[in-house]
Amino acid sequence: MAYLLQQLVVDSAHRYPDKPAIRARGRSLTYAELEMRSSQLARLLRERGIERGDRVGLFFPKAVESVVAMLGVLKAGAVYVPLDPHAPARRVSAIAEDCGVRALVTTAERLRTLPPQRLACTVLVSGEPLGTGEVPWSALESFPAAPPPESAIESDLAYILYTSGSTGQPKGVMLTHRNALTFVDWCAATFRISADDRLSNHAPLHFDLSVFDVYNALGAGATVSLIHEEITVFPQRLAAMIEEHGITVWYSVPSALVYLLLHADLAARDLDRLRLVLFAGEVFPMKYLRQLADLLPRAELYNLYGPTETNVCTYHRVDRWRLAGQDRLPIGRACANTEVFAVDDDGGRVGPGATGELIVRGPSVTPGYWGDPVKSRQALLEDPHLGERRYRTGDLVTQDENGEYLFLGRRDSQVKSRGYRVELGDIEAALYAHPAVVEAAVIAVPDDDIGSRLRAFVAVRAGERPTTAALQSHCAGLVPRYMVPERIEVRAELPKTSTGKTDRTRLAADARRAEAA
Amino acid sequence: MLRMDSDARTVIREFVVERLAPTTGRTEIGEDDDLIDSGIIDSLGIFQLVAFLEERFGVVIGDEEITPENFASIVAVERLVASRSR
Repeated sequence: MAYLLQQLVVDSAHRYPDKPAIRARGRSLTYAELEMRSSQLARLLRERGIERGDRVGLFFPKAVESVVAMLGVLKAGAVYVPLDPHAPARRVSAIAEDCGVRALVTTAERLRTLPPQRLACTVLVSGEPLGTGEVPWSALESFPAAPPPESAIESDLAYILYTSGSTGQPKGVMLTHRNALTFVDWCAATFRISADDRLSNHAPLHFDLSVFDVYNALGAGATVSLIHEEITVFPQRLAAMIEEHGITVWYSVPSALVYLLLHADLAARDLDRLRLVLFAGEVFPMKYLRQLADLLPRAELYNLYGPTETNVCTYHRVDRWRLAGQDRLPIGRACANTEVFAVDDDGGRVGPGATGELIVRGPSVTPGYWGDPVKSRQALLEDPHLGERRYRTGDLVTQDENGEYLFLGRRDSQVKSRGYRVELGDIEAALYAHPAVVEAAVIAVPDDDIGSRLRAFVAVRAGERPTTAALQSHCAGLVPRYMVPERIEVRAELPKTSTGKTDRTRLAADARRAEAA
Repeated sequence: MLRMDSDARTVIREFVVERLAPTTGRTEIGEDDDLIDSGIIDSLGIFQLVAFLEERFGVVIGDEEITPENFASIVAVERLVASRSR
């Protein structure tokens, strides 16, 4: 049994050496090539001084090399940190600095957008190296095809995923091999992923949905098609790709499926091979889910739930017979070897029908946030008897009469937009960083198509009048694009409650009115 | 209906520069600059742009015309609008 993620590939590479493991941008890589290249990369990283536990940033658009890099870093005993290739350079740099990245796998083009980094080495997937610190991809060929000896154990870190933080600093969620394998093994058993399957990878690699696509495919000897960022913009192309690649297993945020439903004319496609459609990350609007179920009569549909800190911890199989009468889809029951329960404000467990915060126990729970013991202690409750850590999700839930959990909302100001987890405070911090802004409030307006739309209200210094475009541009230098508010209204001052706080209820009503107009 | 001359390109450029590009932090965009790899047109932006083109130029753009080729650059978008106006 594999206790390290990279071990999942070994057996598949023996059984299916010549079968494509990965497809991306019109290229593919066989299992034998993937095994060899990732071992060579591990050797190269070791030779350049990367040691067990070191962090290695992956900063390039999706390509077959993405998976080589993930496995290569793991085989070196190191920890990979997928960096959003579309995030502003300042944010990418801040993340690299936060976790002390010692090496980067990137392209020459992306590397030149970043301020100079202090690194042991930089491996370039494409482009011309400058200086001896930069190694071209072709250099891998001169390294041995056998991986360095294994030294890691299952409780070592495998990767760190950065997510929006409420004060403008992204948080690095640490995940161990055991955390990831708990999820991957559960999926393999529950969804019976086989070598005949063809998985898609729609989510960005810095998003934990990708863990399913990549490792479940590799573990089963299946093929995974990485859907590159540009194709996700064009629904017809995306649908054509699902058909042409013969995708059998799809996993994405509901927004991506709604996008296909609205714009890709799915009825005209032959999607009969699609046997399994999984979605997670946000609430699936029922009207669209019913449409999807009708369009894919043969596919099994599952609603998966779980924050990055635990990966998927509950699941619900969509029951077509119940769908017509359901007004919301349950997040379901706990996955194997996982316990979930709801607690009230005093930490006492609440029974069915009552509302509480969802708590998660089990081997998939993160050990904490990188370099932030304070936030880790707030989010992870330590059990005094067992010494284990339980994750407080911040999600409010209730248990229905069937024993399934229903998601009701958040305890804090975290929202989902296009499936991305967004802290409103993160965006407000970006707005406050603008010299003219004296007050800022970001409001999430609920939206059926993308979860929520981000609207901002700012008050500016007297005599200043920044345009919406200027404020958006400013934000775009600090936060990823999906966090830049679509509308920013400049006012003389923001409304206040009787206690002097920003009146968010009133602003939310204003935003909704503006939306309807 | 607006005539297809250099005005159309200016109108398209204005929309791209003022409405789409700010969320990526870009302030200047050349007529042949890539709009997709750069992220200027993303999954929200593309349908804002389509809605704008349909209203502004009185054309209908079908889902099958929403392709990377037709939205690769400002010039490509102008060509698409011109082809739909005949």
